[in-house]
Amino acid sequence: MTSSSAPSRKALSKIACNRLQKELVEWQVNPPAGFKHKVTDNLQRWVIEVNGAPGTLYANESYQLQVDFPEHYPMEAPQVIFLHPAPLHPHIYSNGHICLDILYDSWSPAMTVSSICISILSMLSSSTVKQRPADNDRYVKNCRNGRSPKETRWWFHDDKV
Amino acid sequence: MAPSPAFFRFLYNEIEEVGWEHLVKLKEDLTSLSFRILALMDLIFRDKKGQPHMLEIELSQDYPKSAPCISADVPYICQLQWSMKSRLKDVVQQFRELLEQLQEFWSTKCEIDRNLAVVDQKQLLRATSCCQINLGNNSYMMISVNPRSPKSLPECRFFGPDSEVHSLLKRWRRNQSEWADDKSICENLAKMLEMDLPGPSYGSKDEQVDCGICYAIYLPVDPELGVTSGSAPDYTCDNPNCRKAFHSLCLRDWLCSITTTKQSFDVLFGTCPYCSEPIAVKVDSSHGTTK
Repeated sequence: MTSSSAPSRKALSKIACNRLQKELVEWQVNPPAGFKHKVTDNLQRWVIEVNGAPGTLYANESYQLQVDFPEHYPMEAPQVIFLHPAPLHPHIYSNGHICLDILYDSWSPAMTVSSICISILSMLSSSTVKQRPADNDRYVKNCRNGRSPKETRWWFHDDKV
Repeated sequence: MAPSPAFFRFLYNEIEEVGWEHLVKLKEDLTSLSFRILALMDLIFRDKKGQPHMLEIELSQDYPKSAPCISADVPYICQLQWSMKSRLKDVVQQFRELLEQLQEFWSTKCEIDRNLAVVDQKQLLRATSCCQINLGNNSYMMISVNPRSPKSLPECRFFGPDSEVHSLLKRWRRNQSEWADDKSICENLAKMLEMDLPGPSYGSKDEQVDCGICYAIYLPVDPELGVTSGSAPDYTCDNPNCRKAFHSLCLRDWLCSITTTKQSFDVLFGTCPYCSEPIAVKVDSSHGTTK
């Protein structure tokens, strides 16, 4: 799968650029445990390696997150998806889309890439079963035209996982 | 009507008495610029501490019948004693006396600069008797030292989050009788406010707060941002446990981008992105509603 899911975006605003540079510096000084930022010179798209936490279903597994920032970040949430192959998880669709409220309705500029990563890892770690969401096939079919997960109307039904 | 040669002989004589070494600049015959002014000169004098002070003297058409005009970087100018027999050296003498009178005022200001977190220290002139002091917790004090009586209780105003200002004012009023003219101003202020005041390095670099949304101290310098271009955070969350600082512009942009924000006339009502307490920002003014 190619990572074509990021629609053609407008360049980052000055404010977004400035904020992301600060987040990147902070990340380099104090990276969240279990994550590695793959260094590129593209500030607008970060690719981050996630290592499953020891003692969880995803121990010794490694996945890749792709984070795309909108022009008016942090007024809008970044788009965060797993690159193929996405981990088997009840809230992660096979196309990499993640059902997690802070990525959509509950986003706030008080959050950072780093805090999102920690939330995602915690979501993985608390999973008790490795399986796709029940509506995976239907959802993935609907997204076939490369739709962004930010255009999905999400129902956040389960806050246990 | 240009001044006569006799006038210049007279003028040079007067400068001679003051001492040519003090003269920095002399502009004669300004009648082409203004009928009123015959000559303009800048003189420099050192006070007893060796600090240089510039004095500008303007001689009008009917000098020496009328007194010259003087201006200088001082908080107040002395009322010139002038008679037909007076000469420039008398003016200079009076100015020197004024400089000595002001020594206590300047040393008080110097003490404030050296010990407290003065905001915008660079812009302070010798004439300024007001200065803004950072008290920490996003609150500030504007004090106005009386140049004629610098050791006495200064006039004072507080700025910052309502709760903080309220408590500072209460302490200030309660302790008014504690002010002692023989103590240093910093000691007095600390006593009045019942707290240790932050030092001069406070707030300048490390303490200067970034906006909680854009993570910058200053907004970009951009003509599109109008008066807010390049400005520092001007809004602080009222929740005393949060106190996060924002540019009201960033807060407004954020509130406008979510659907839960309510608007009433020109005020947006929403919640703080950090603590979720209610906040209110004006829609199109450049300032938040915090005083």
